[in-house]
Amino acid sequence: MAYVATRGGEKAIEQAERLFRQDLGTIDADRVEAIRQSMPYLVDRVMGEASLYDEEMAALALAQTGGELSEAVLVLRAWRTTQPRLTVAAPLLQRDLLTQRRISAAFKDIPGGQILGPTLDYSHRVLATDVLEGTPFVPPAVDPAETAAPMRQPSLADWQREQGLVGPAQDSLVEPDDIPDLTREPLLFPASRAHRLQSLARAETGGVLALGYAAMRGYGNAHPTVNELRLAQAEVTVRHPSGTPFSAGRVRVCQAEVTSKEKGGYLELGFAASFGWNEVKVIAAATLDLNSAEAPVGSPVHEEFYLYHSESVEASGFCIHFKLPHYVTFQSVLDAMRDAKAMAAKGDQDVSQERQTEPAE
Amino acid sequence: MSLATLTRPWAATSYGFLDASAKRELRRKMLKAIAVPGCQMPYASREVPMARGWGTGGLQVTLTLVNPRSTIKVIDQGADDGVNAASIRRFISRVSGATETWDTLAASIVQSRHRIPEETLREDQVLVLQVPNPEPLRGVEPNMSIARQMHADADYGRLWLTLYEQIVRKGRIMQGAAYPSLVNGRHVMTPSPIPRWDVPKLNMAKHLTFLSAGREKRLHAVPPYTRVEPLVFSDRPYRVEDHAELVCRRSGIAGYFMNEIPQDQGGSVFEVSDSNLGIKAIRQAGGESVEIGATWYEDGEYSA
Repeated sequence: MAYVATRGGEKAIEQAERLFRQDLGTIDADRVEAIRQSMPYLVDRVMGEASLYDEEMAALALAQTGGELSEAVLVLRAWRTTQPRLTVAAPLLQRDLLTQRRISAAFKDIPGGQILGPTLDYSHRVLATDVLEGTPFVPPAVDPAETAAPMRQPSLADWQREQGLVGPAQDSLVEPDDIPDLTREPLLFPASRAHRLQSLARAETGGVLALGYAAMRGYGNAHPTVNELRLAQAEVTVRHPSGTPFSAGRVRVCQAEVTSKEKGGYLELGFAASFGWNEVKVIAAATLDLNSAEAPVGSPVHEEFYLYHSESVEASGFCIHFKLPHYVTFQSVLDAMRDAKAMAAKGDQDVSQERQTEPAE
Repeated sequence: MSLATLTRPWAATSYGFLDASAKRELRRKMLKAIAVPGCQMPYASREVPMARGWGTGGLQVTLTLVNPRSTIKVIDQGADDGVNAASIRRFISRVSGATETWDTLAASIVQSRHRIPEETLREDQVLVLQVPNPEPLRGVEPNMSIARQMHADADYGRLWLTLYEQIVRKGRIMQGAAYPSLVNGRHVMTPSPIPRWDVPKLNMAKHLTFLSAGREKRLHAVPPYTRVEPLVFSDRPYRVEDHAELVCRRSGIAGYFMNEIPQDQGGSVFEVSDSNLGIKAIRQAGGESVEIGATWYEDGEYSA
């Protein structure tokens, strides 16, 4: 049994996982709650990429993976996909969202006003080193406005439609249960509108930022103007079996609408939305959506390119799979290479220094 | 009678991890894949509790096939105790109650990455190959939509051209593993990155093979007794790796695909890649009663 004794992979993997978990120590409900409370934007990001809105579970996923983001998203998604799809919530309109932040760069002022809401946009990004010196940072109190902003804000695009600047909205006549669901169907191209927006909604933030930035910088032909950016809470309205609609709770959502230029007599709009508050992601994603129509096949702003390559679980998984042994395929390559060299040595072939071509495995 | 007696006890996940809707979709796509051999069928590809690219496609097919009476063998690079193979096998048996085995002869389902076992598979066995890239045209056409159209048109000219160019430049076809092969005279498939040594094992095989790419969300199949022909030119025959003469330094067996182990003082020694075949040979040599099945290769020559 010497053959077996020298290998022993099963024990090694168990101990390797133990090492990782030992470094993180005991995970209890307090730690999960501390993450949920202190890292809302991180929790939002994970919920968005996992397409599962549950702050506690997202915080748990972060706790048990030590904040390894792609691992956190994977455990949440793997849990989510085993759960039944109970019902489809009622569609949302922008004007129904409980809006905490809503700005437009397209106009100095907009109907309903520019509502800054919570943001670091105008802050000086100075590290609060005093905290480490023993002086806790206590946030100064917010002065309430004389009149509170309305909870709901109109949609700027609605105003633009009335003015004939934006094309009329098409009512979708699809039954809720018939809305394509990316989590239960493969992504095929050309992608349905629903699949594209769902895919962007769960895209990896860094990935969608990189490709969106490429589009903004010049690899796309549309330079975005933020028509409307919104951070809000949405009522999840579902129907009781008796037929009565009711709110099953509120979720934090964000959305961006970007525009660039005229097409067919109207302003073009690119759109993206996601669970949680993640402004950079939805602006980048909406920019990709905006650029899609005229994107050359194979360019980074073509939907097949950006949707495939911003898929968090697929991209990270494939990247780390290169750690797996590949010695069989490598042996196969070596065999062909040695034979070609031997033939060349016999003088009947020219061996050039060209690179071996091998598809990604 | 109460609700409690009518419902099953609560469980965190369904039998075999995947829920019924996921399994139903997979079964439909697997049947379609059998009906059109070598044709890639898109499927939803649910997340499973391991990373994409680590056998999630093979795992979903296996989890759909498995039942408590199944016997599962999982190998990576030919070895049953490769770290990832061990992890997958443990997961499958944990969620399904299936029996684990290292013995090819005992397995009802063999899930594998990069190898087909050397012992000939039977009609009552299913081989599930993990596939990183299901698209044989990826190298000549990275866009999936266009590649799909090319398959529909049986437009494989650019693939033939790359093979031809290799002959012109290097004197031989340089494709290592994942040798593109024509299935049932219609669809070119990638047999997954199995070495060229293993591709003939798929031709007119007794067993059913599923090839499933979880990350790329595509699966294809080679049904039993289906032609699988590597793309070759009539004057340049197909060549498997030159392993026929190599001898395993541990088990002493020869004529099978080998792993090359570089030595400190230079040079290499070899070990049989199908690790459990090696173990069985060692045990047999030690006087134990061990059954070694018929193999596809005999004395280094393909003979099945």
